[in-house]
Amino acid sequence: MGKIAVLTNDLQADVVHKTPERTAAMAEAQPRFVHFLEEMRRRGHGIYHLQLVNLPDDPNVERDFDGTLPLQRGSEGAAILGDFLDPSDNVVEKNKDSGFYETELHDLLQKNGVDTVLVTGLQTQICVQTTAADAFFRGYNIWVPSDCVVSGDPEARDRSLEWLSGYCATVATSEEILATLDSDGELARKVVKILP
Amino acid sequence: MTTPAAELGEVVLDHGSGTQLSHELLALIVETLGDVYIGEMEDSAMLPIAAGQIAMTTDSFVVDPPFFGNGDIGKIAVCGTVNDLAVVGAKPLYLTLGMILETGLPIARLVQVLTSIRETAREAGVQIVCGDTKVVRKGEADQIYLNTAGVGVFERTPLRMRNVRPGDRVILSGPIGNHTVHLLSIREGLGFEQRVLSDCAPINGMLDELFAAVDEGDVRSVRDVTRGGLAAVLHEYAGAVERTIRIDKEALPIQFETLMATDMLGIDPIHSANEGCVCLFVDPSAEQKVLDALRAHKHGTGAVVIGEVTEQDGALVLMRDAEGRDSVVEELLGAELPRLC
Repeated sequence: MGKIAVLTNDLQADVVHKTPERTAAMAEAQPRFVHFLEEMRRRGHGIYHLQLVNLPDDPNVERDFDGTLPLQRGSEGAAILGDFLDPSDNVVEKNKDSGFYETELHDLLQKNGVDTVLVTGLQTQICVQTTAADAFFRGYNIWVPSDCVVSGDPEARDRSLEWLSGYCATVATSEEILATLDSDGELARKVVKILP
Repeated sequence: MTTPAAELGEVVLDHGSGTQLSHELLALIVETLGDVYIGEMEDSAMLPIAAGQIAMTTDSFVVDPPFFGNGDIGKIAVCGTVNDLAVVGAKPLYLTLGMILETGLPIARLVQVLTSIRETAREAGVQIVCGDTKVVRKGEADQIYLNTAGVGVFERTPLRMRNVRPGDRVILSGPIGNHTVHLLSIREGLGFEQRVLSDCAPINGMLDELFAAVDEGDVRSVRDVTRGGLAAVLHEYAGAVERTIRIDKEALPIQFETLMATDMLGIDPIHSANEGCVCLFVDPSAEQKVLDALRAHKHGTGAVVIGEVTEQDGALVLMRDAEGRDSVVEELLGAELPRLC
């Protein structure tokens, strides 16, 4: 049986506080999100924070109104928020929506024997969704704790969870996931349409 | 001896100024294109051509990103023009090659594009007969833009939209939506780019084999399913023949991962651009022959019948779902999906 890892997406000030809606959504989710990460660590599962860093020469990066590049490497706004970070956690830089896109994440997870990933963070309909899809294509068993994914657009978040559940992931609350781990000792793989 | 890519440097403004640097770049272009380039450096190419009707077309290419998983802008620039000639029934012969280069483009990248052009031209059996290179300042273009014009000759009766009749079967040569998903996925790093590849391919060889396998008139008309996607093609034909075209939703060839991606992105595969898929309108009695011929070719293995041209007036495009309900396929006012070719 492979190991389980939690992947967080974009828990960084420049992302979380980009809009008041996101800030409010994160404030609502943060207590149970932090609790979930603590409980997963306590059970011995690895936490991998995907840290979005914008590259200055990426033509598709969305700049601020004044032309400033947000999420620059080493900046305060790009740092993983301290409330979610533990010294035992891994931080993996990414430069695009999916945490697997030209990053070391897959190699790291393989090296550590991980076969199940719990995808969390924000925004649900972009980075969470694409990272989950990418993980699915790479053969991982995907779970998404529905109350540890965040979006400034609740409708988009709900559509995204529906998509994840429909195509590639088991969606459950963090409480349900912890209870399943405690009762079954594992997270069963969702039976999905067989890919060619 | 070939210069290592890293030593080739970058494009500078003088590569386009007609000076010695221009001539050096031109020599590199000619050397890289190899035997597919038959230009003689006159102001115009002078070419032998059989008497009769010719087909001529032109297209500009600004694809973003210009380099993607299984191709690049060079491959698209050859395929786009070759396919436009092939679908009207012409045999593509000659292409021109216009290039607009941004200062700072690594010349090794340009060589990569030229190599793709050479290999794709070889596959398509066409030759580059003349070209032009302009260089613009940093920020005035995005790395590289291309233009190709093409000339073909007719060795058979041209295929026209007006040949299409009620009862004709509508056939797609392969899956739709893949090119769009591949490019959008690379732009944003969505994770689909490894599973969904561009369909970019020259399809003239496949059509040659098809025309050899069927009788004249069996294939009424062909269109490559590029910008605007299948929906745009069907609307053009429905309007041209003033009949309603009905397609079967369940029959549409859409790769599972493509469906995932388009569902995520809120776009519809039938509106998505492709670069190696054609839509054929076929005499119903020749349906199986056409399918067999297409499927025998590497670019047509996924060929399927997706619908038919009905007797019904109205120039509508309808899509029938699994429960037998018809819905109108609207033509998009705009797609907001720029630079896919």
